[in-house]
This record gives sequence, structure tokens and C-alpha cells, in this order.
Amino acid sequence: MVRIFCLLVLCSVLSPLQGAALELSEKQIFEKNSLYQYISVVEDSVKKERYVRNQKREYAQGGIYLNAPDKLLFEFTQMGFVSLAFLDRDPKDVLFVGLGAGAMPRYFAWHYPEAVIDIAEIDPDMLAVAQKYFYFKDNERMKTHIEDGRLFVKRAKKKYDWIVLDAYQNDYIPFHLTTLEFLKEVKSRLKDDGVVVSNITSTFRNKFFDSMVMTYKKAFPHFYILKGRKSGNFIFIALAGSKIKDRDSVEARARKVQSARKFDIDLEDFASRYEPAEAYEWGRAKILTDDFAPVNLYQHQRSAAP
Amino acid sequence: MIKFVVFICGAIVMSFEILGSRVLAPNFGSSVFVWGSLISVFLAGLSAGYYLGGWLADKKPSSRKLSLMIIIPGIFFLTFPLYSAPIADWIFTKDLGVRLSPFLASIALFLIPSLFLGIVSPYTAKLMICSLHTSGKTIGTLYALSTFGSIIGTLITSFYLITIAGTNTLIMGQGILLVAVAIPLYFMDLVCAVEK
Repeated sequence: MVRIFCLLVLCSVLSPLQGAALELSEKQIFEKNSLYQYISVVEDSVKKERYVRNQKREYAQGGIYLNAPDKLLFEFTQMGFVSLAFLDRDPKDVLFVGLGAGAMPRYFAWHYPEAVIDIAEIDPDMLAVAQKYFYFKDNERMKTHIEDGRLFVKRAKKKYDWIVLDAYQNDYIPFHLTTLEFLKEVKSRLKDDGVVVSNITSTFRNKFFDSMVMTYKKAFPHFYILKGRKSGNFIFIALAGSKIKDRDSVEARARKVQSARKFDIDLEDFASRYEPAEAYEWGRAKILTDDFAPVNLYQHQRSAAP
Repeated sequence: MIKFVVFICGAIVMSFEILGSRVLAPNFGSSVFVWGSLISVFLAGLSAGYYLGGWLADKKPSSRKLSLMIIIPGIFFLTFPLYSAPIADWIFTKDLGVRLSPFLASIALFLIPSLFLGIVSPYTAKLMICSLHTSGKTIGTLYALSTFGSIIGTLITSFYLITIAGTNTLIMGQGILLVAVAIPLYFMDLVCAVEK
């Protein structure tokens, strides 16, 4: 009995400590339970950075440098732009699925002011947060649609040059945005030479990663993988067309984009590091479909492949 | 036996509801509107089923009739893959808005099966009540078994079943289970000894 009491006391002392897992230099400036998630905006006064998080202890979904809000803070957002080197021309029509803090669309719009951008974001509060704390603004060329990404893609009449898939719910992708059927719908919304880029977080090689690779392979004729150096992020770059891209032409294009659009990230370095997905072949990994897609479980299971 | 049937039906209702979210997601997403539609339609089906079940129970109840009430949703489940995608696709193309579309799809796909599963509880209560002195206990036991079944159904489906088999396979599996428990019920004659 005494022991149980002690345990209870211990729990009650420890639990508030656990909840407040902010670093000492961090300060929470906004918090809300939206329709879909817990949203917390946190500022780090030492690093001079601001993040948006969905769980108190989890990684940030997006963020900015307070002193340089036009730079890309996170590696995965930088890596995503290398996919532009797989397109032989400038993208005109662009779709982002998942807004986050809006860093990627904002950066893109800044470097491609002539492009027409659609953004599909399910959570109206996320848009409000991006606007209030992350300098995000819709305008006549960039419009955020409050809608489920899958529905937006299915209903879209337009075809896009570049589609960015970055919709997360906490630390996993909603299952209906991972399936073969969804990827085929995405492909049908791409122009003939269009490119889709997807951010896949994977702290270790788990079953989800393997299944995702096999599903992309099935949906797209060519697809490439880039692994983050600093983070556990992978970038998947898939092409709607059947033309194979050789590394030289991708690197050359990256150089060209880099200088023409004055990117302050090293696109060429990213372009030198991608791998063709042919290097990844796991026959045992299951393809994800609308009927079968246990994404939550697969995220936590180690890969069966060697 | 009849208690087991109540447990299974309770389990299948909630298991079907969990799987329902998977059925709706490809066409209607996973917005709050989808969840709201799904849950309210299941509850509507159940409450209509309870009412109807109570009404039917007063008209010469028999375990044979009960088994038919269970075979009907069983057949819906067994044929679910045949009609679910065409219906959902058709409602999607009508584009009735983010609220109405998933609501209508839920009604079309889930209302009737959940109604029949709702009939089971009051109907079995009537079959099992032998005396007014113990009717409270009988009804309490059935409620508890049905809801306990729902808990097990929810847990097993979301924790395990979804991770090992496809949605359509699981729904058809539920259909097989319902038919399997209904058939022996058909040949049993469960009428209260005291009443006779």
C-alpha cells in the first residue's frame, strides 16, 4: 500500500516534468488543439528559431530562422527542391499536399514568382498558424485549399509540373496518402514530364519505408531516392515520364537552376547524391493499397529485408 | 450459445465501424466530417435496430427468426466488396460537399447492416427472459456481453486485424462469422422452459 502511494506521488511529480519537454531556451508562444491535431508553436531564443510541433516532445513539422525567415531551416525542405533538377524546364503549375509552416511553398514562390501554386491542407488552424507565425501569405498566384489532400488530387482538373507530397499527421502519413491508388491519382494529375517529390521520414529502415519504396516503384516508371545527411529523412523523386535521367544531366540542370533562380541551398550537392530506386529491391515488402495499408504498425517494425 | 451470439454481434458492429473508416478514406478522406458521419450513422442504425428488435420481439419470437436477422447482415458483409466501391465512387462523382458526401456514403454502406445487428440485443433479451424476477439480471448480462464484445472487436480490429489482412477480406470474414453463428441458431429451439 505504501509502495503504491509512493509510486503515485512519484508519477504525479514526474508527469508535469515529462509534459514540459521544452529545452531551457525554448518558449511556447502558441498552443491549440485543432480539429486534427495538437499544434504548438515554440521559439528558441538561443538558436533564434521558431518551430511548429504536433506533440510536445516530437520533431518539428516546420520552422524558420527568426533572423532569416526566407531561408530554409530544415534539411528535408532543402532536399525536396533537388527534384526540380529532374524537370527540364521551369515548373509553372505546382501543387503542395500538406502545408506545415508553409516554408517550402513560400521559398518556392519567392524563387519562382511566375508559378501558379495550389496547396491542399486539411487543417484550417495550420493555415492560420503559418500565416500568423511563419510569414506565410496566400496571394493570387498561391492559394491554399482547406481540403483533404486525397480529395483535392482526385477532384483536381488541372495538371501539374511539380507535386510535393508532405502531409503528416504527427509522425506518420495518413494511410490513404500512401497507397498505390493514391499515387496513381497523383500521377494522373502530372503533366507528361511532371515530377512528384515526397518527404518520407524514417528513423531506421522500417517496414513502412520498404513498402513505400515498392509502392512508388509500382506506380511510377522511374523513381529516385535521396537520403538526408543530418536527418532521418528520405526524399522520393518520381517521374511521370518514361525517359531515364542520367546523373550528368540532372547535375547540369541543378547547376542551372541554382544560378538562374539564385537558390541559397546547394542543389548540386544533393543532385550528386541521389540513388536510382533500382538499388532498392525488396520482394517481400508488401505494396500498400486502399485495401491494405497498415502504415502505423509498419512505422514501428524493423525492416525484414537485409 | 445465445450469449455467444450477442457477444459476436457486439464485436462485429464495432469492428465494422473501424473498417468503415478505411472504406471511406479513399473517396472522402479522413476529415472530422468522415468520422462524424460514420459514428452517427452507426448509432442511428443501432437505435433503429433496437426499436425494431423490441417491436419484433413481441411478435412470436423464436431463435429461428433471430438467426435470419443475423444471416441478413452476414450476406451484406459477404457481398460488401461487390457494391461498396461502386457506391462510394458514384457518391464521390456527385460531389455533394465535404459533409454530405461522406454522410450519404455512410448511410448507403453502413446503416442497414448496423440496423440488423441492433435488432439482436432486444430480441435475445426477450428470448432469454424467463421470469420477471430475474429479467433485470438477464438484460444486464446481455448488455454487458454485447458491449464487451464491442470492446474486443474494436481492439482486435485496430490492433491486429488491419495489420494482417485487407479491409474487404476482413469484412467478408465477418460475414462468414455471422452466418456461422446464425446457422446453429436456426436449428435450435430456444424458448423459455418456464413460459411453456
